[in-house]
Amino acid sequence: MTEATASDTPDRQPRSIVAGSAGYQPRYIKDRLAKVVVLIGGIGVIAALLLIFVYLLSEVAPLFEGAEFKARKAFPVPSDGSTSLYVSAEEQGEVGMRVGASGELNFFDLHSGVAREAVHLPIGDLQIKQVVDVAPERALLAAGLSDGSVLMFQQEYKVTYPNDKRLITPGILFPKGETPLAFMPQAPMHLAVRENDDSLMLVGSDPAGDVSLKAFEVTTSLMGDSSVTESPMQTFTPPVKPDLLLLEPGMHWLYVIDKAAGKIAFYRLNGSEVPQLVDVSEAGAAIVDAHYLAGGISIVSAQSDGRVSQWFPARRQGGKDDGKSYLAHIRDFELKDGAKPTVIGSEPRRRGFAVGDDQGHVSLFYATSGRLIHEEKMLEAPVRALAFNPRAQLLLALGDDGKLVASDVRNEHPEVSLRALWGKVWYESYDEPNLLWQSSSASADFEPKFSMAPLALGTLKGAFYAMIFAIPIAVLGAIFTANFMSPEMRQVVKPAVEVLAALPSVILGFLAGLWLAPFVESNLPGMFLALLLLPLSIPTFGYLWMRAPRAVRLRVPMGWEAALLMPVIAFVVWLCFLLAKPMEALLFGGNMQAWMDHTLGIGYDQRNALVVGIAMGVAVIPVIFSIAEDAIFSVPKHLSLGSLALGATPWQTLIGVVMPTASPGIFSAVMIGLGRAVGETMIVLMATGNTAVTNFSMFSGMRTLAANVAVEMPESEVGSTHFRLLFLSGLVLFLFTFFFNTVAEVVRTRLRRKYSSL
Amino acid sequence: MDPQTMTSVQTRTSLGHGIDISSMERSQIPTRIEDESIAIEVDKLDLYYGEKRALNSVSMKIPHKKVTAFIGPSGCGKSTLLRCFNRMNDLVDGCRVEGGLRLDGKNIYDRDVDIAMLRRRVGMVFQKANPFPKSIYENVAYGLRLAGINKKRVIDETVEWALKGAALWDEVKDRLDDSALGLSGGQQQRLVIARAIAIHPDVILLDEPCSALDPISTLKVEELITELKSNYTIVIVTHNMQQAARVSDYTAFMYVGDLIEFGNTDQLFTKPSKKQTEDYITGRYG
Repeated sequence: MTEATASDTPDRQPRSIVAGSAGYQPRYIKDRLAKVVVLIGGIGVIAALLLIFVYLLSEVAPLFEGAEFKARKAFPVPSDGSTSLYVSAEEQGEVGMRVGASGELNFFDLHSGVAREAVHLPIGDLQIKQVVDVAPERALLAAGLSDGSVLMFQQEYKVTYPNDKRLITPGILFPKGETPLAFMPQAPMHLAVRENDDSLMLVGSDPAGDVSLKAFEVTTSLMGDSSVTESPMQTFTPPVKPDLLLLEPGMHWLYVIDKAAGKIAFYRLNGSEVPQLVDVSEAGAAIVDAHYLAGGISIVSAQSDGRVSQWFPARRQGGKDDGKSYLAHIRDFELKDGAKPTVIGSEPRRRGFAVGDDQGHVSLFYATSGRLIHEEKMLEAPVRALAFNPRAQLLLALGDDGKLVASDVRNEHPEVSLRALWGKVWYESYDEPNLLWQSSSASADFEPKFSMAPLALGTLKGAFYAMIFAIPIAVLGAIFTANFMSPEMRQVVKPAVEVLAALPSVILGFLAGLWLAPFVESNLPGMFLALLLLPLSIPTFGYLWMRAPRAVRLRVPMGWEAALLMPVIAFVVWLCFLLAKPMEALLFGGNMQAWMDHTLGIGYDQRNALVVGIAMGVAVIPVIFSIAEDAIFSVPKHLSLGSLALGATPWQTLIGVVMPTASPGIFSAVMIGLGRAVGETMIVLMATGNTAVTNFSMFSGMRTLAANVAVEMPESEVGSTHFRLLFLSGLVLFLFTFFFNTVAEVVRTRLRRKYSSL
Repeated sequence: MDPQTMTSVQTRTSLGHGIDISSMERSQIPTRIEDESIAIEVDKLDLYYGEKRALNSVSMKIPHKKVTAFIGPSGCGKSTLLRCFNRMNDLVDGCRVEGGLRLDGKNIYDRDVDIAMLRRRVGMVFQKANPFPKSIYENVAYGLRLAGINKKRVIDETVEWALKGAALWDEVKDRLDDSALGLSGGQQQRLVIARAIAIHPDVILLDEPCSALDPISTLKVEELITELKSNYTIVIVTHNMQQAARVSDYTAFMYVGDLIEFGNTDQLFTKPSKKQTEDYITGRYG
């Protein structure tokens, strides 16, 4: 080469081909620079995506971490020598309290076991037989005394900060006075006490098998004077031995439990009327202990065979007893290795509870998620009492040997299990298992319902209706535009449709919510008529046009026929809404919604899937149209010519050659549209009503994953289960769109490879 | 002659694959168009692209079961004329045809002509092989299915027959279900020919069928054309005068929309009657 150059232009030096030589530098630098910039950009995109994914994962991961116990030092519980009847811990987990049979209250440090203040209850020489929770959220207790009277007392912990150090001073209050309330003639075998603002109820059982019930009403006059009305004592004989009594905090239900027989008699209390026996349930084995869960709806019973059962009142569904109340056996929890349970302690604010066994093991369960969260050996002796502090961050376990162990519990997200997230769960106050999303409520007693299923279903439902609306219009429009439209018209139509994609979805959302939804509601028959007649009128017009005289047809240039449809569509829509009112009067008695409700049993919500389908369809159509049109338009001309030359009609060519060849593009257009519809937030937020229902009805709303995050994120507590579940729904959404886009891409690459040599 | 064709002719000659024109054609007595039965009659055909006139009153008769070649420089209208034979020009925007073009006596531009039926009788093969992105089998079966033939046995037989007819059977019989896009260029072009003959046309139009092929593939296609002419009327457009001379019985020379000369290939190449023809075949312009 150099030779030739040299001989052609003898005055020039042969140029060097070595990199970095003169005259080579600037291009070389530009080239390298471009390469680096492109590389940084590409890696940056992937890194950003990965970071988002990792961040979502890191927020979600704690949901699936188990619980952890960290035992503090075990110590003999400080006492005056009498039997310990009750232990508890205050909110901060620093001070514990123990109640002895003699009436001695001992407070002690929970870290060291050192005794602190001691108080003697004003009960004289009487003995305490039993201490029961009255209102755990207020630390209100009742002591059943040996003479049959009841003394109520409340723990009080004052927090002060002398020298900037927290100091907790325990004390005792007597909200009902220091004099015990007279109740039964002798010490009750078991006692249950409940109190709220204006009433107090005492229930006690005696060894003869009778149950006595006494209620006090506090009435406050307008002048501010209050007087206590004491209703007469009621005594009744339940069909089972009343070993254990559980009274509902609202004082409407009473459970009488026969331990040895394993039976639970379930009573409805009606004020002054005689308690009414509703149902007797069998636990299947001897009951060792039973306890109310937080919220006062569920009870749990531990059986001697190692099972723990959850119960609450429900109404029978179907059958001859439809609507009748009964005590529903909700779910069972199993202790490990068939251990023998001894006692139950429940968390004061969540549906969690702990069960101790005769080997000193403590198992932590959670009712809603139905799972065993943690199991650990806390004591050497059988567990006699278990108590959580109000925050459920500390668990006290008292053994038969008088030793007490306080254990710090880290159990942040017991509500979450795969079944609780995706399966049907029998929530409190429901009559059957359900898929529900109700993350929060004003009441602290509320059982949060964290089922992702209705949200995922709602997301798919919204996307489904949007796609039903969008795919035919977008794909058929793309086929027509790419294949049959004149180039001049195409140059107008395609950008016009693409501009639609630039419409902010919030505008579509409020148009849908504030204009379309009421419009559809008041013109439902017209909508249906339009949905029916429009697809019919277009081909009909096409046929008539084909049959029109040649002279008429020639007036419209080839490929511009579609423009003629516009007045036709406008006319048909106008006609539909004109006909709708008389039709509604004639066929549906003047009100289609009412007719649907009465005749078909289909409810109608104003914000429904039909409206969302249309609004989100409009958002998705430009995406699908544009990509599909490109795909169809880029089918090589020589393929359709080849088909036409074989005697195919344009339609046969379209079906036999153009569509199969464009299919990867059309498919990915649809998938990208679907991904958009799944992730769409504003439209569904504004036009769906955001009710987390689990049906696929066209006339009911939905709540989608994306809208749910948008609605609830501002009100969820950072780090709470709810908060993390919103991240999980974000992750699920991410996986949805990731899945659809990946499928689209895989199919596209495979098909493209198939057609690569075109 | 354009430089590309020149190169291919030179290459072929140097490779020694050229076919001696004398041995093929001289052995036959020169035939005259007047003695042939006529398949297609072109009668004062004018063609306009919008305002531009692309064909000027072309009249000619395409003989039955013979190979007729159209030659001429680029843009002379030979492909346009060919595309009139199966009305492929209808697909071009603003294309207008005046005059007559009769297939077996019926003017194909009459309004009652079914274009799909016409194209089934007048098959076409394009410059660039255009197999569909389907299997080899389905490519050949495509035209049959269009015609409403769905019996598997009939289609099987016809596919085999057509592939044999296009001299492709032996090469593809073991991979009929493979994608047609995996075939070589020459094989693809023969597949397209098989696809065309599968629907039993009367006429096959070949629009520069070898211009994208290598010399060996070109030779195979040319051999195929020679075989096919016993059953079909063939019209071929070619840039390659040697090819026209080798495969055709009659040759038409066109120049800027006019049919300059049409006659027996031997005579046209050896004793052209028009000066323009002689200039062209001797390579004075092109």
